[in-house]
Amino acid sequence: MLTRSTLLSIALFQAALLAVGFLVSGNNYYMLLLTQVALFAAFVAAWNIIGGLTGQLDLASSAYMALGGIVTSLLWMRLGLPPVVGVWAGGAVAAGLAVLIGIPTFRFGVREVWYALMTASLVVILNNLFRYFMGPWDFYLPNKWGWLYLRPRTYFELFIIVDVVLLAVILVNIYISGSKIGYYLRNIKEDELVSEAIGVDTRLYKLIALAIYSFITGAAGFLQVVIYSSFSYRLFDAGLAISIAIMGIIGGLGSISGAIAAAMVFRALGEYLRSTLGGVIPGLDLLLYGVALIVVGILKPEGLAGLFNQLRRWWRK
Amino acid sequence: MSVGGLLVAVLQQVIDGVFLGLFYAIVASGLALIFGVMDIINFAHGDLVMISAYFVWLISTYLNIDPLLSMLLVLPVLFVLGLAIQKGLINPVLGKEPLIQIAVTVGLGFVLQNIALGYFKAEPRGYPNPVFSEGLSIGPFVIYESKLLSAAVSVLVLFLLDQFLSRTKLGLAMRAVTDDRSSAMLMGINVERVYLLTFAVGMVLVGVASGLWMEMGQVWPYLGTSFSLVSWVAVALAGLGSIRGLAVSAVIIGIAESMGSLISPSVKMAVVYLIFFFILWFKPRGFFAKR
Amino acid sequence: MTKRFGGVVALNDVTLSVGRGEIVGLIGPNGSGKTTLFNCITGVYKPDKGRVFFMGRDITGLQPHEVAKLGIARTWQKVRPFRNLTVLEAVTTGALLRTDSVEEARKTAVEVLELIGLPREEWGRLGSEITLMEHKLVDLARALATGPKLLLLDEIAAGLRPHEQERLAEVIKKVWSDRGLTLVVVEHVMRFVMSLSKRVVVLHEGRVIAEGPPEEVASNPRVIEAYLGIKPV
Repeated sequence: MLTRSTLLSIALFQAALLAVGFLVSGNNYYMLLLTQVALFAAFVAAWNIIGGLTGQLDLASSAYMALGGIVTSLLWMRLGLPPVVGVWAGGAVAAGLAVLIGIPTFRFGVREVWYALMTASLVVILNNLFRYFMGPWDFYLPNKWGWLYLRPRTYFELFIIVDVVLLAVILVNIYISGSKIGYYLRNIKEDELVSEAIGVDTRLYKLIALAIYSFITGAAGFLQVVIYSSFSYRLFDAGLAISIAIMGIIGGLGSISGAIAAAMVFRALGEYLRSTLGGVIPGLDLLLYGVALIVVGILKPEGLAGLFNQLRRWWRK
Repeated sequence: MSVGGLLVAVLQQVIDGVFLGLFYAIVASGLALIFGVMDIINFAHGDLVMISAYFVWLISTYLNIDPLLSMLLVLPVLFVLGLAIQKGLINPVLGKEPLIQIAVTVGLGFVLQNIALGYFKAEPRGYPNPVFSEGLSIGPFVIYESKLLSAAVSVLVLFLLDQFLSRTKLGLAMRAVTDDRSSAMLMGINVERVYLLTFAVGMVLVGVASGLWMEMGQVWPYLGTSFSLVSWVAVALAGLGSIRGLAVSAVIIGIAESMGSLISPSVKMAVVYLIFFFILWFKPRGFFAKR
Repeated sequence: MTKRFGGVVALNDVTLSVGRGEIVGLIGPNGSGKTTLFNCITGVYKPDKGRVFFMGRDITGLQPHEVAKLGIARTWQKVRPFRNLTVLEAVTTGALLRTDSVEEARKTAVEVLELIGLPREEWGRLGSEITLMEHKLVDLARALATGPKLLLLDEIAAGLRPHEQERLAEVIKKVWSDRGLTLVVVEHVMRFVMSLSKRVVVLHEGRVIAEGPPEEVASNPRVIEAYLGIKPV
């Protein structure tokens, strides 16, 4: 459903983002921060597929991210496979695990809490397992640079790669939204029982959404490793997974623009909090996300997108 | 290691597992009560135990008393806290879609974790001189007094809870609402009041659990995560409806976790997770929607 | 078939046959097992005993979406609102059962909505914005859009005023003849059922207690006794 206005919005967004990118390209800290914020937005946009469109509370985003990123890294470090190829494997592994968990959990009639629980625990379990099997150390990426390794020499080029990924995820979202899959996913989110009655294999479609989201997250996970230049068990971060879900909800479930807006604003705000008060009060940024979620959940569950729609309707009157 | 040695090690874990399981039963009972009566999916349950444990630690440290005594002081605080959370957070989202409900409680848990992190920092805190810290040697096995006492208290509390639910007016009202909310309303039960009190009672159980935990161990901001998982797995395994069933599943989980720690302490949560996964594959009856 | 829920026997050895092209009425007081029967047919429940045959094929225990694909559609007793979807979107989703193209599905949806007689202005409205009567019509349209051979209507007249009920009955008759459907109409409202169906089956406490043409059934003493209090035709 790529309408003229949608295309225009995307173009404007890209223009603005690139403009900011050019502006900060001289300053390494801000360049990397912008890149991180954009990548975070990409993860949230991917999460929108399972959370916003399909209405499943997935709390394992960072698990898929870390798994994909680490698989890609290890394929590079141990087998010499260039990440530009390796990320596809990383995504596949992440998607494989996601689907494995989804198959029993998405059976028709199983309550949504169990999926949330399984995914929330997955991050913690993988964190423990990874630490057990690989040790508590940081593993650094090899000293090789270039687009082949998705590790360009300048931060600005990395920003471009991340921006391309973000754009791609936005387009995937739009494409799905307007397709049969999108219609079915929205119906599942609205009412599973009716969906089954009109012929939707709810489990299958949930798994499709899950596979797409986890594949993207797993593949893009390597970019997160590149930003850190290393990986460790700490990449399996439950707080990050929850934060991503929070952004998707605050933005307004199903709204890609809401999700990205929430992601960028809050992540930037969070970074500000972390850099100013973070030494004194750890976890302040996460506290902000949590409070925002509670406020949105109680007062305005439709999120930023709902707020925006309301304003638009009010302005039209 | 000799066969005898291995056997002793395994049995030791079974014993510890039973103690752990009884503790888990208390933790899970609060969740089961709230979930059963109010049909609300509280993801923050473990984090509430964690915050309560910090309260216990604070009182113990300031007044220099044993955690079990602090626990008694903490219970009324938690009761009131329970009323506040129910009215302020839970009630507003009761009618809304499950995802929002879960999300709000996830938010609550997240907030609690980070308040704890910000205020107390990440290092574990424990009360250095609990009264019951000796390990009794019974044959080749070591049984810690604290664990034994905790198990005894757990059994007592579970028994009291069972009696409460089957003999008192409020308890029966709670069960009626669990079974069928609309009929309960028609019978004149003030469902809103039942909800309020249920949450408060659930929080008292949380308080008991936290006191028991502080008698045996330490608290840190992420303690709650594993408690949440275990509680939900226990509820999944047992279904809702009987305290006895819940106690049995909690003990099973405790034993499984202890056995897991024979392999490695990091792996024991993975064992619980695997149990959960397998229940979901093969026997999902506890997972299905009330229809 | 027989279906139990714990100690309650919702359906006790119930047999129902429906011939192609028939309109069969299924009546009975609340709790007699009508919705349970529908749920067993459509795969939401699995009967404890007995089988379901559709067009010569055993469909017992199939998943609901498989049953829908084979050509059985239904409407809902308790209104299931599609609050965040528009009318057109909801019906299009139904039509997607028979095609992969959203364009084609939308065309089918438009056709069906016109057949049902829902005015075009309503098609863009959200589920949260429409009236009860419109809801019933959309529910019907959505079920029709899935291209069924058998349509199960579960108390579709419930909550409607008499003139709305009449209009609905007209629409159903039109749809039935236009599409060559077979219908099973569960109803509480006697007038509705009697005007539509040639044959009526009566359920009471999970059992069939009468079967036959509407006038006969209406004067059957057992039926009157079971209903005690319902207004007769």
